[in-house]
Amino acid sequence: MLCHLCNKNPATIHIQEFVNGEKKTLHICAQCAASKALGDSAINPFNLAELIYNISEKMQFHDSAQDNSDGEESGPLKDISAIVCKNCGWTVEKMRENAGRLGCAECYKAFSDLIKPSLEKLHRGTMHVGKKPGNERSGSPQQMLEMLRLQKELQELVMREEYEMAADIRDKIHKLKEEMEKND
Amino acid sequence: MKNPIDYFLNSKVGWLADTHGSDIPVSSRIRLARNLTGVPFPIAADNSQLTTVCEAVKSAAEKLQCPGKKPLLFEPKTMDPVDRQVLLERRLASNDFIQREAGTLLLVSRDESSSIMVNEEDHLRIQVMNPGFEFDRTWSSLSEMEDRLKQQLDFAWDDRLGYLTSCPTNVGTGMRASVMLHLPALVLTNRIGAAIQGISRLSYEARGFFGEGTENTGNLFQISNRSTLGETEEQIISQLSAVVRQLINHEKHFRMHLLEQDHDLLADYVGRAYGTLRYAHVLPTSEALNSLSALRLGVAMNMFNALEMHTVNELLLIIHPAHLQKFEGRDLDETERDVLRADLVREKLKNIEKN
Repeated sequence: MLCHLCNKNPATIHIQEFVNGEKKTLHICAQCAASKALGDSAINPFNLAELIYNISEKMQFHDSAQDNSDGEESGPLKDISAIVCKNCGWTVEKMRENAGRLGCAECYKAFSDLIKPSLEKLHRGTMHVGKKPGNERSGSPQQMLEMLRLQKELQELVMREEYEMAADIRDKIHKLKEEMEKND
Repeated sequence: MKNPIDYFLNSKVGWLADTHGSDIPVSSRIRLARNLTGVPFPIAADNSQLTTVCEAVKSAAEKLQCPGKKPLLFEPKTMDPVDRQVLLERRLASNDFIQREAGTLLLVSRDESSSIMVNEEDHLRIQVMNPGFEFDRTWSSLSEMEDRLKQQLDFAWDDRLGYLTSCPTNVGTGMRASVMLHLPALVLTNRIGAAIQGISRLSYEARGFFGEGTENTGNLFQISNRSTLGETEEQIISQLSAVVRQLINHEKHFRMHLLEQDHDLLADYVGRAYGTLRYAHVLPTSEALNSLSALRLGVAMNMFNALEMHTVNELLLIIHPAHLQKFEGRDLDETERDVLRADLVREKLKNIEKN
């Protein structure tokens, strides 16, 4: 089979995509794959709307597959496109039209099945650990940045087996920790 | 009432102030996205809801004297297009924001370092900007500003997801930190593509001068975090700092490489730009930006005796279309602007000799 993009080299890479609900398979050569990857990551801006839409397609696919394997009558297929946010009337289609944006804070609950998997792709974690509405943190932003710097320095010194300097840093960390707790 | 835009035009732009140390990082900026509870996000809100948000933020800002004492207020819908464009060119507002027809408000501190965009993509976009590579100071003032605002305003919040934003790309901390880097040597030696690819693989982003979807004119790149959830603001900032430091060292390395191994290329690049700026009579914005970028590299590498970095930095701002029209005091078409821009640049550089 020849590469679908250049029609010259043999196709060695096979990509499956869901476009508008249809499963499409793209057979391409390594060279075209490299330039496609380059185009996807570096040149095109990150497309959240398509990511969410692709997830919604996959979820419907996944649900129906599960129904078959279980052999159970689990009611009608879960139709993601029919979800409406009760608070602001937002729909999946509206999300798509607006580059993945949501209509209100309640949308996070209404579309949580859809948002959850995309958050995993977008972010380094799934749980917020930063600032909170109440002032519950000990230490100033500057002290926290300093703490991170010291911890990193300590890690590097231990790795280089420079224990004497590492001990100094450890003392500094203790001192800073005390100061941060005092301010609390 | 006197046009508050004039207040800015008569003062130096804070984020382009001369910095000691490296000239590679131009400015640092951090913003937080916040929304008020009980009101739909701007994209789904009607005009009266948008007005409610504007009023709430305005009254909180007045009570708190935030951002800064006696902040300047701008309502884009009542401003003429050139004045709106000035806000964009000074990086106080996004393009999307200044085009919006109603329900928006911008509050800016008198030193231009901090600002709040009301009803951009989120109800509040709170930002602090400083010259150079200055995340500590920038984050301290921004965090303090947010602490104050939340005494008066209730922000939409979820125990697991943190601060809720219109776009899930910002949820959690709602924070985007960015450094604008001047990277002419990486561009000149064709290393920039690989560097940017590496950055995006680490889930950081490199954007153009005015943010999302803009070209990298003038070899200026904004490096920012993409992930906003799962790490503290300080963790995000310190990891981004490590990436930025690496890019700065990379740029330094290739500046030395040009100086030692490829001096003709460097001298030609800077020399041609100098020639254009000294002698051109028709100078479009992008050509001016690219030439000034090369000149800036020349200054950093001590190729000019009498040329100061701040002259180049100032030019990098005032050659933009809206600034040019404000200084001329009238609307100009593109052809007129290109001629006046060339005049202005020639005048500023007339006494400068190349070593």
